[in-house]
Amino acid sequence: MPEYKGMKQAVRASEEDLRKIHMIPVPDDQKADEALKYLDEMRKKFRSFVTAMESCVKCGLCAENCHTYLGTRDPNNIPAGRADLVRKIYRRYFTPEGRWFGKLVGAEDISLDVIEEWYTYFYQCNECRRCAVVCPFGLDTCEVTMVMRQILHWLGMVPKLHAHVGHAMELTGNHTGLPKPGLVDTLEFLSEEIKDEFGVDVPFPVDKPDSDILYIPSSADFLLNPYTLMGAAMFFHYIGANWTIPSTMAEAGNFGLLFDQQATQRGNVMRLLDAAEKLGVKKIVWGECGHGWRAAKMYIPTLADRPVRWPITHLHDETSYYVQTGQLKLDPGKNNRPVTLHDPCNYGRACGLAENLRITLNACVPDFREMTLNREKNFCCGGGSAILFDDPEMYQLRIKFSQKKADQVRETGVGNNGDGVLCAPCSICKAQLYPMVEEHKLGVEVKGLIDLLGRALVWN
Amino acid sequence: MPTMQVGNVTIELDEDGFIVDPDLWSEELAKVFATSEGISELTDDHWKVINYLRDYYKQFQIAPMIRKLCKETGCSLKYIYELFPSGPAKGACKLAGLPKPTGCV
Repeated sequence: MPEYKGMKQAVRASEEDLRKIHMIPVPDDQKADEALKYLDEMRKKFRSFVTAMESCVKCGLCAENCHTYLGTRDPNNIPAGRADLVRKIYRRYFTPEGRWFGKLVGAEDISLDVIEEWYTYFYQCNECRRCAVVCPFGLDTCEVTMVMRQILHWLGMVPKLHAHVGHAMELTGNHTGLPKPGLVDTLEFLSEEIKDEFGVDVPFPVDKPDSDILYIPSSADFLLNPYTLMGAAMFFHYIGANWTIPSTMAEAGNFGLLFDQQATQRGNVMRLLDAAEKLGVKKIVWGECGHGWRAAKMYIPTLADRPVRWPITHLHDETSYYVQTGQLKLDPGKNNRPVTLHDPCNYGRACGLAENLRITLNACVPDFREMTLNREKNFCCGGGSAILFDDPEMYQLRIKFSQKKADQVRETGVGNNGDGVLCAPCSICKAQLYPMVEEHKLGVEVKGLIDLLGRALVWN
Repeated sequence: MPTMQVGNVTIELDEDGFIVDPDLWSEELAKVFATSEGISELTDDHWKVINYLRDYYKQFQIAPMIRKLCKETGCSLKYIYELFPSGPAKGACKLAGLPKPTGCV
């Protein structure tokens, strides 16, 4: 368990790991100077960052609205407090009052200790942006985390998990490192599973030229979420779509958004455009992945180095359209259990994807109970931005980060009889919630939304 | 980097305790891992899971979908957790000498 002066930290990428993602770590004795150089660069580039640095009045409203603070009561996990870890440096070097009055105005000299604090706490932020919704000034503290993770990346301080994902993506076109034969084998297996369980022949076309729809699944679905893949395939088959999964880009996620919004994020975008181009598709449909949908919907238009010639929609924009136009015959009775919905933060707060989830869900289940709070006010599952670290100390933090979510689920009562469903249509949420619903003994099973739709489809 | 001694061989482990070079795997190593995972004895069912994982990995360079592992070995997920208390990924894969799964898992 890595620790720096009492601060527990995520296991970080080794020098070898970093070289695989094209980074050469900056030696400790040069980190302070380099960090200042990068900070100067970022403040000149990002107005959102400067606004957060200059405008916070420490009203404290964000504290009780951040699940990481509520779960840990660590003042550095108050969004304003987290931002202070860099604000004190920003003030010291980039404001006149900080240069003249130093500590008197809360400014501090940069040091390795400060940089280690950054690594510790900017990787305890879930980038969920709930603080941005409640901030009276509209400060988006996630923007601060993003800038700081970028700087940490350039310094060579990246969690092993994120670096491994970056490398796997480059090697195989997905985060879990699935080569094409493994991917095809899994999908063939799932075709058989659909036949066994639902009695229909549903193929999973891979790399099929001249398809209309390019479906981008989350690669975690290939290891952990069989019904998410099965549900999507059954939906496309049901509506008679000419669809395919690209083996070179079987990944809805884009970890570039989470640790390197430049080379890594852009590289993944270009990979997608290449796949769409090669297979001659007409439309791109995104699978259940929260941060990935934000990266796709909100970033592709500006990150792409070529014109984007395809509409990009989310799977549940599609399913809700088909539900509303009466084109799906659904039997909610097939999901006859109490269900609540966890709004993935990136859907609800970043992409306006909240009502469509409900349109689809209500058509697929007979007993849907809203959480309080929900939609853009929902609390994060505690896994946001893939801080899914699983060494024992960090895992304990994940339990604390998910406390608020556990309270919310419990309040709905869906798990009272031990047969509830917690619908969480996002891979990071699923990976976080599978163990957390057990840790908090919530009496619910975690499922994707398309999982429920697949089960509810009536075929004859 | 941590290492582990199995017979005369020194084996490198990553921070999560997984072996770095899958080619150095041996049954002996699986037994040593079992002890550190709190598994008192490796039964036939343990070996069935371990061998399935190894064969699958040899063929596809990736761990199988958990559902497939369960189906092909006839072990329910619950039973796999009984066999390997850290679960299929962190327990079974580790004993089978597979790299730690990465991504949103």
